[in-house]
Amino acid sequence: MIKITSKTTAILSGLLLCALTLFSALTQAHHVLGRPSYSLNEDSNTPPSMAIETQIGEYFFTYMVFPAFPKPNEPGRVNIYATRIDNGEMLDQAITFTVRDDTFWGESIGIGDGAKPEVIGQQNIDDGVYRQGFLFKSRGSYIIRAYFEDNGEPYEIDFPLQVGAASPVGPIGATVGFIFFLLLMINIVQRKRIARTKIQQGNTV
Amino acid sequence: MIMTHPGLPLYWAYAIGIMMLLLGLLTMAVKAPTTSASRSISLAKLPLIGGLFRFLTKYTWPLLLLKIAFAALFITVITAGLWGTPIVERNLATTLTWNLWWTGIIIAILFSGSAWCALCPWDNIASWLVNHSIWRHSNSHSRLQLKVPNMLRSVWPASLLFIGFTWLELGVGIVASPYATAMLALLMLILATTTLALFEGKAFCRYMCPVGRTVGAYSQLAPIALRPIDSEICRNCKTLECFHGSDKIAPCPTKLVMGRLQENTYCTSCGNCTQSCPSSNVSWQLRSPSSEAIKEAKPHMDEAFFLLILLSLTLFHGLTMLDYWEVYLSEMAQLINDSGQLIISFSIGLAATLILPILIYCLCIGLTQRVLKNSLDTVVTKLSFNKLFSGFAFVSLPLAFSYHIAHNLTHFVRESSDWLSLVANPLGIGAEPLSMMDKHMRHMEMMVSENTLFIMQGVIIAIGFVIAAQVIRHRGHRLFAAQGITLLPMILFAALVTGFNLWMLVQPMTMRM
Repeated sequence: MIKITSKTTAILSGLLLCALTLFSALTQAHHVLGRPSYSLNEDSNTPPSMAIETQIGEYFFTYMVFPAFPKPNEPGRVNIYATRIDNGEMLDQAITFTVRDDTFWGESIGIGDGAKPEVIGQQNIDDGVYRQGFLFKSRGSYIIRAYFEDNGEPYEIDFPLQVGAASPVGPIGATVGFIFFLLLMINIVQRKRIARTKIQQGNTV
Repeated sequence: MIMTHPGLPLYWAYAIGIMMLLLGLLTMAVKAPTTSASRSISLAKLPLIGGLFRFLTKYTWPLLLLKIAFAALFITVITAGLWGTPIVERNLATTLTWNLWWTGIIIAILFSGSAWCALCPWDNIASWLVNHSIWRHSNSHSRLQLKVPNMLRSVWPASLLFIGFTWLELGVGIVASPYATAMLALLMLILATTTLALFEGKAFCRYMCPVGRTVGAYSQLAPIALRPIDSEICRNCKTLECFHGSDKIAPCPTKLVMGRLQENTYCTSCGNCTQSCPSSNVSWQLRSPSSEAIKEAKPHMDEAFFLLILLSLTLFHGLTMLDYWEVYLSEMAQLINDSGQLIISFSIGLAATLILPILIYCLCIGLTQRVLKNSLDTVVTKLSFNKLFSGFAFVSLPLAFSYHIAHNLTHFVRESSDWLSLVANPLGIGAEPLSMMDKHMRHMEMMVSENTLFIMQGVIIAIGFVIAAQVIRHRGHRLFAAQGITLLPMILFAALVTGFNLWMLVQPMTMRM
């Protein structure tokens, strides 16, 4: 049995910190709004759409993406419906849409070009809906921001958008890498410890 | 569009209410119990199924096959979560994890006690990776065998992880994301592997695993458990192979001595003791569900808090699936200017639901202490609040367990997925979301009839209150010499919680996915 020393506590803390950092970097966008639901109407032959409902300040928002799973180089559209919570009145202000990369480093620390937002258009209400078309050339996780001002208050609504499939290699690679590194380090420490014990026993005999 | 399930008919609530009133009065009126001796039957000795249990405890390979099967399912869940469709109801990762496992595991405790822990893929995969051995004693160099630090030697880590799980499940909404479900599975695997590689025994199972601790707590009310067949053999045993292990079989991972086992909390049903016992004296036993809860064993404060947190989180699960919850979230968000996923409003609701039942429990314990002091001056002069707190904490267990089963039964019976198509296409490649018609059909096609479901729910809630009343009567008398009117505060606590559980069951409940 081994007693815990300050050294082992430090190793333990370091390993746990590594695991936490690794996973906090890998978790999905932390600003996903509401709960996404994918809907398909049996009377419709259009591809499924993704809808998210949420509320911000004085307004309820419904955000829809067509198609639900946009792919690179395929056109898509974002629809926003915004109504006041208190009386159900529709918002009637121009909304500016911008896009930026949804990466942990770009998002939190502002590293890389992807952190800089790019304006994709400004839309006015049309038949109760704000429609914004998009076309992404490469696969990735993006954040679309809808911005408007109402009664002097700025409203910034961030919506995540996954273009193409999310990469599964990152989480698997991180898990396998972490476990491999952990077991390797412990194996080395244990072998050294056994060798040291044998030398000490040899000296005492 | 949010779909809801109809709630329990009101007459069930009235019937159980009357039963609670009568039983509460009876608990105070009858004489204090003199003995808590309970009978148990060895399943290995039963005429028909005995052979099966003897076979299961004698050979290691059936359990090993099951472990491999569950590990394979776990890997399939991760694969489906990371590579499969994001459509929740079409991906095996979300349906298997949240619709079948997370709901079914609680119901399964009724029939199999803590057997889940023996099959748990988190621990089994971690053990295979670290020990380089599938069953026997391992001389692997991949374990540091450190002593678990004192600050981790309690079930507080499991309590905190359980709260975190609930926050992720209901607040962040990982239930609706196959990718996040797979990430959580990987995170748990990393935690299990790291703790196994660093610490002696199975520290993750004993102190940290929220699922294991929940299964352990509830399994104290399970009618089956691993126990000695003949307690006299254990009394005379000097070698304690169940604790130390044998040449071939590993010791008990949670350091239990089978002959002295009073509570099922930390038994992971791993089967090491059944294999290592030279007298083959350990087997599955059939017993009364209340046999452990009414005994004298007092949980430590951390364990007592875990039982109460379990109750609070169980109530919280129910609350978040009512229409009122959406109203609360919206109003709270407007009040505090919360936006987006309304996670702050959610967290406030979670914190309040966690604290409120514990405060009410404390109030009832305080009242019990006062009533006891007034009525039994000489006996209770040394009676502290903490002793009462931990001594009566078991009352919350049957209340939480019964509501948890009743609530999960709705999910289980009404939200059974189209398993054939899911197994055929676990990643949901090319699958379309369920249409409104499909959702309606799923809603209507139940595993059992609606009336059968209501009967099961009503009976389970009633049994929960009956066991709670027994716990109050037996523990009150044996630990604190309490009887009659002195039991009233705790009976009121049990009645209040059962009443609230019934109220939630009567409300329409939101579908999970």
